[in-house]
Amino acid sequence: MVSTELLGQSIVNGLLLGGIYVTVGVGFALVFGVLEIIDFAVGEYVMLGAFMGAIVAPVVGGEGLFVVPLAFVAFFLVGMIVQPFLHHVTTGDRPMPLLMGLVFTFGLAIFMRGSVLTIFGPNTRAVPTKTLEGGIDVTGIGTFPEVRVVTAVVGVLALVAFMYYLYRTTGGTAIRAIAEDRDIARLMGVNINRYQSIAYGVYAGLTATGGVFIGLIYSAGPGMGLQYTAFAFFMIVLAGLGYLPGIIISGLVLGLAQSLTAVYIGGELVFFVLFGMIYVLLLVRPEGLLGKGEVS
Amino acid sequence: MRENIKTVKNRRQFMKAAGLAGTVGVAGVAGCVGGGSDRGGDKFKFGVVTSLSGDLRFGGEVTRRGYDLWKKTVNENGGIDIDGSSYEVELSYADAKSDPSTGADAASRMISSERVDAVLGPYSSNVTLAVAPIMEKNRTPHISGSAESPRIWEQQFKHTFGTVPTVTLIAQRAAEEILSLDPAAESVYVSGVNGPFSKATASAMRDAAENKGVEVLAYDLNPSDTDWTNVVSSAKSQDPDLHFHGGHIGSHVSLLKAADQLNYDPDGFFNHYGVNTSSFKEGLGDGARGTFGATVWMPDLERSGGKLFGSAADYAEAARAEYDSDPDYTQAASSAAGVVYQQALEELGAAPPLSDTQKSKLVEIIEGASVETFYGDVTFDKEGEFYHNNTSTSPLPIQLQDDNKAVVVGSADSASPANYPVEE
Repeated sequence: MVSTELLGQSIVNGLLLGGIYVTVGVGFALVFGVLEIIDFAVGEYVMLGAFMGAIVAPVVGGEGLFVVPLAFVAFFLVGMIVQPFLHHVTTGDRPMPLLMGLVFTFGLAIFMRGSVLTIFGPNTRAVPTKTLEGGIDVTGIGTFPEVRVVTAVVGVLALVAFMYYLYRTTGGTAIRAIAEDRDIARLMGVNINRYQSIAYGVYAGLTATGGVFIGLIYSAGPGMGLQYTAFAFFMIVLAGLGYLPGIIISGLVLGLAQSLTAVYIGGELVFFVLFGMIYVLLLVRPEGLLGKGEVS
Repeated sequence: MRENIKTVKNRRQFMKAAGLAGTVGVAGVAGCVGGGSDRGGDKFKFGVVTSLSGDLRFGGEVTRRGYDLWKKTVNENGGIDIDGSSYEVELSYADAKSDPSTGADAASRMISSERVDAVLGPYSSNVTLAVAPIMEKNRTPHISGSAESPRIWEQQFKHTFGTVPTVTLIAQRAAEEILSLDPAAESVYVSGVNGPFSKATASAMRDAAENKGVEVLAYDLNPSDTDWTNVVSSAKSQDPDLHFHGGHIGSHVSLLKAADQLNYDPDGFFNHYGVNTSSFKEGLGDGARGTFGATVWMPDLERSGGKLFGSAADYAEAARAEYDSDPDYTQAASSAAGVVYQQALEELGAAPPLSDTQKSKLVEIIEGASVETFYGDVTFDKEGEFYHNNTSTSPLPIQLQDDNKAVVVGSADSASPANYPVEE
């Protein structure tokens, strides 16, 4: 017999897990949609954000939440520095820019992971918080872990804020114009390099910020990034390639599928089910769950 | 309204790029860390295949510390004595990258290119299971200072030995002790990671509960990267007295964090491996306190002492001086594996490099050896389900208490009172 409370808790878990994925997926979808980059380093920005939380939080009063704005600013700057190199290998007369970008970011990911492993060692580290401890019990539904609720809300807010920027501001219009046709945007006076750097900086900042939250929820470890890279790939396929709002739906679907499969089908089958969903979707609905993604 | 941003890119491009990434990844997977293939006769050369990167890099690093400390100490003491002549020890590392097939490839190269005399084994059971057949094929002695899965010993590999008792023994005996604490538990929830070591651990925990007549509410295996809130939700809904979990450190930390977030509070958590490591304690901070674990060795235990390091305390002091942290039982067992080789080589009396015949003779000597070490007496079973596993070292339940310091609990003479039911 299905327990109502367990079902409620599983749905809560799934939705909040989906919120965590949204915090990672939004930036990944951004660089894919705007810069035409499949950034294999997305998970490593998560890892670096989590590590920043673990290292800096004790210095700022033992509260990981204080690291959130610092991580955004720090990794926005990191992104601004990295992007010109990425631009260099994906433009000019180089063949297959998408692949060049992917190989570059793959190397970047290995460099990031190796650097953290070398500097900080292999240990798992806690990102402390005194504010978001435990969960809020809601009778008849389940327990809402405070840190996961905040993470999910931040993830959705980040996406909404970025959508606003993209569709309601001059800067966002410029970025969309670059995405539409780089040469024409340049002819229209858009500073291509500047806006691409901003976009990549926002992506790195958002993803590292998500990493701080993920560190608060789980912990920080040098090897944690790869699974988030995999989930980011899943999410943009489910969302529909190039369709940013779909990230919320795909994140929530992934989270729910994972949670309900683990509880009602069997934990060992979770990834079988998730991969199965992706394969089936690619076969029958390649434009994504909402049917709004790009298909050639 | 469609809000698509780009029209040029398409799914085909995306999949092509992803495929290339996979190819690059696979190409980057295999890799020897060791040096060249020149082989002089002035040193014993040991190959080490362990996980220096990947998910299990923490454990791999622990084994490396154990092997390195043995090498350093034996060389500082003049090397291995062969009929009055001393031969230093050289270690050549290969990174298994936490992947069995990579470990097997590395082991093959280690033997064919590096021409090692013997091999010190991987951290994980998965990789050990892949490496052991390579050792059989090449008739090369192989001692693991870490692997605990019973599946290794069930395979009856002639050339593979292990200094850590199989997890079937460690987890089961420790679990039985924890289940005997007062007030006696009436129910237990068993979870674990779906891998050879972790599954064997969880299975042994379940067996212990069943042997004690304690109700097993669930036996719940999951992938290592799962979100453990799902397991915690299921467990919480069944309200067990105790929660047992078989896995590695990462899953322990994630499980206990999820338990804290969902206000899940059984009388105690028992996680077999890694509770007494810095990674577990740093990963959980104050949340680690009260967790039960199991060990076969701790620095303050009375053990026979013996060759090279002296007592357990002496070994711990040497380890702290070298690495500035307390050694755990895996590190100790890894060093003990080296000590076993040292004694066996001295008995063999053959200078390096060893011939195939001498390697076979070395295997026979190891099989019959009884080695007194800081880790305890090491002897290997000569037959049965634990063939070539050292089952003579006694497992003990431990608990993290004040300042997250691990103490022995249970019925042993040296045991401290358990904090049970665990109070924060």
